[in-house]
Amino acid sequence: MMPDMLSSSLQIAAPELILAIGAMILLMIGVFMGEKSAQTITGLSVAVIIIAALWLILVTPLGVGFGGSFVLDPFARFMKILVLIGSAAAVIMSVGFAESERFNRFEFPVLVLLSTTGMMMMVSAGDMIALYLGLELQSLAIYVLAAINRDSVRSTEAGLKYFVLGALSSGMLLYGASMVYGFTGHIEFTQIAAVAAESGRSVGLIVGLVFVLAGLAFKISAVPFHMWTPDVYEGAPTPITAFLAGAPKIAAMALLTRFTVQGFEPLSDQWQQVIVFISIASMAFGAFAAIGQHNIKRLMAYSSIAHMGYALVGLAAANTEGVRGVLIYMTVYLMMTLGTFAVILAMRRRDGMVEEIDDLSGLSQTNPMMALFLTVMMLSLAGLPPLAGFIGKYFVFMAAVHAGLWPLAIIGVLASVVGLFYYLRIVKTMWFDEPAEAFVPMAIELRAVLWVTGLVVFPVYIFVSGPIFAAAEAAAKTFF
Amino acid sequence: MSALLASYLPIVIFVGVALILGLALLVSPFLLAFKAPDDEKLSAYECGFDAFDDSRMKFDVRFYLVSILFIIFDLEVAFLFPWAASFGTLGWFGFWSMMVFLGVLTVGFVYEWKKGALEWD
Amino acid sequence: MEIGLGHYLTVAAILFVTGVFGIFMNRKNIITILMSVELILLSVNINMVAFSAFLGDLVGQVFALFILTVAAAEAAIGLAILVVFFRNRGSIAVDDVNTMKG
Repeated sequence: MMPDMLSSSLQIAAPELILAIGAMILLMIGVFMGEKSAQTITGLSVAVIIIAALWLILVTPLGVGFGGSFVLDPFARFMKILVLIGSAAAVIMSVGFAESERFNRFEFPVLVLLSTTGMMMMVSAGDMIALYLGLELQSLAIYVLAAINRDSVRSTEAGLKYFVLGALSSGMLLYGASMVYGFTGHIEFTQIAAVAAESGRSVGLIVGLVFVLAGLAFKISAVPFHMWTPDVYEGAPTPITAFLAGAPKIAAMALLTRFTVQGFEPLSDQWQQVIVFISIASMAFGAFAAIGQHNIKRLMAYSSIAHMGYALVGLAAANTEGVRGVLIYMTVYLMMTLGTFAVILAMRRRDGMVEEIDDLSGLSQTNPMMALFLTVMMLSLAGLPPLAGFIGKYFVFMAAVHAGLWPLAIIGVLASVVGLFYYLRIVKTMWFDEPAEAFVPMAIELRAVLWVTGLVVFPVYIFVSGPIFAAAEAAAKTFF
Repeated sequence: MSALLASYLPIVIFVGVALILGLALLVSPFLLAFKAPDDEKLSAYECGFDAFDDSRMKFDVRFYLVSILFIIFDLEVAFLFPWAASFGTLGWFGFWSMMVFLGVLTVGFVYEWKKGALEWD
Repeated sequence: MEIGLGHYLTVAAILFVTGVFGIFMNRKNIITILMSVELILLSVNINMVAFSAFLGDLVGQVFALFILTVAAAEAAIGLAILVVFFRNRGSIAVDDVNTMKG
């Protein structure tokens, strides 16, 4: 490779380099300073993420680097900004938890940085080697994060389950990748699309496609590959659940979108069927399985399964409008998830964290501000107008309708109605039940995250929706 | 086909010689050695004591740690071999790429060293 | 009989299915699951190298090299999590990974 080609590639990948080098430097600082450095490392890692985000927005040129392996287009930039927001918020929200639970491991922010690097690579992957390496960098860091509370049976069990099922999903994805490689002779998405357009579908190629879709469905926890989600959400320490409910889902959704829409555009009638199926299954399963839950982290797991189903409705449309819907949906989903987890992290009494839904009873009397924000979040997750959650659902359902997928949109609306039931149950618990013991006052950083996300969900999104929709539109046009 | 097989002839001869030599060394003691059987010669010997316990015991979990650390650093050699084999054509770019890679590995190594993972106690 | 691409793919498919069944049918020991995962990844490697030789394209072998090294890292992390789990639970039987249900 010529030096000038290298330098242009490195410019395109500069935000990832900032994250990776930052993570290594912070690891060295942490290990030489010992456990007492956890606070410092947390602050510095937020700074690293912010620098990477600013660099990505202001400095990094769009383009293709490393011989087509690494692509930075408007779509990748949009998704990367979401990923960075999700990671930064998760690290910020861990500060209070670290203090109260004596959870001072400086490895936590470092692993989040490494995982974020992997997610950025996933979003930018231009061929299947980059796809695999990004996915594994993200996953391996999260396996360790889920098990990071190594004295707790639940945390280690969550890590173990996530590892076993995650490793299986990587295996399936790789088997699919090998079939795709064998039957097209290429690993770059654009060239796979060219060969597929030329030679049409062959059985080997379809088998490969389905295996890769299965592996990616695991990562976004879509039914029927959702088995790990509730246990991992419940067992992992809460800041880590907040992290893995947000950024990794966005990165995996971006990867799924790029792989299907860019790599297999000529075979869209083939993968559309698969996406429609897992979308319907996820929406229905997420809506019904959440009804009987008592643990709020577990409920959020089923809620996230359903939301991935809604986002896939947009992808099933397989056109510009659909991809734009996915982008808008993921933006809204990230805001709602971060806000809800800010409240869950604030569910702490003097004798420790609680995570049952019943612990929220009468919250409107003991802490009206928190109850109001959680109500907004729940109604937005349910998709009621005029909240942001409604806008997300509106765009994906309209895309499906315009693409002729009427049944999918109708099932989506019905699943939302079922979902409304369990979200309203939480609202009812907060406003109409006898007050339980009050929570300790909310930490300042949780309050900040809650205010920002809460105001974005309503009403700020109305004012910023213009530029965001325009950006999503431009990002979606990348592929068509 | 026969030309292909003929190129394997030295290996066949080698295997044959090895087989004959090994069998000869195995069989000759039975034929030549002086025999004086005794029970004590067959019993387990542990520095003058009877054996303490079964040899299939559980062993220390710290061996796991050593093997885990070994696996990671061992497999990275897989990248060094092709690099070394084609080093002449790669030039300075190839050289510095590998140095960066080894630098990243060193960061991990420093971490495990400072964490005390390499100490037995 | 000439050994062709189909034979290699068949071997790889058999290994892959063996690995998947090893994960789902196994009710005894988590170490077995780790070995099944390795089996799956190695079957993919056979596929990759066979396709690479068949297509006369080196990319497949490079991919196999990456899979090999990442699989090692994955096995290391899996073993580490398993050791931590064993310290807490005192068992690595599959049936004992059950504190959360629902």
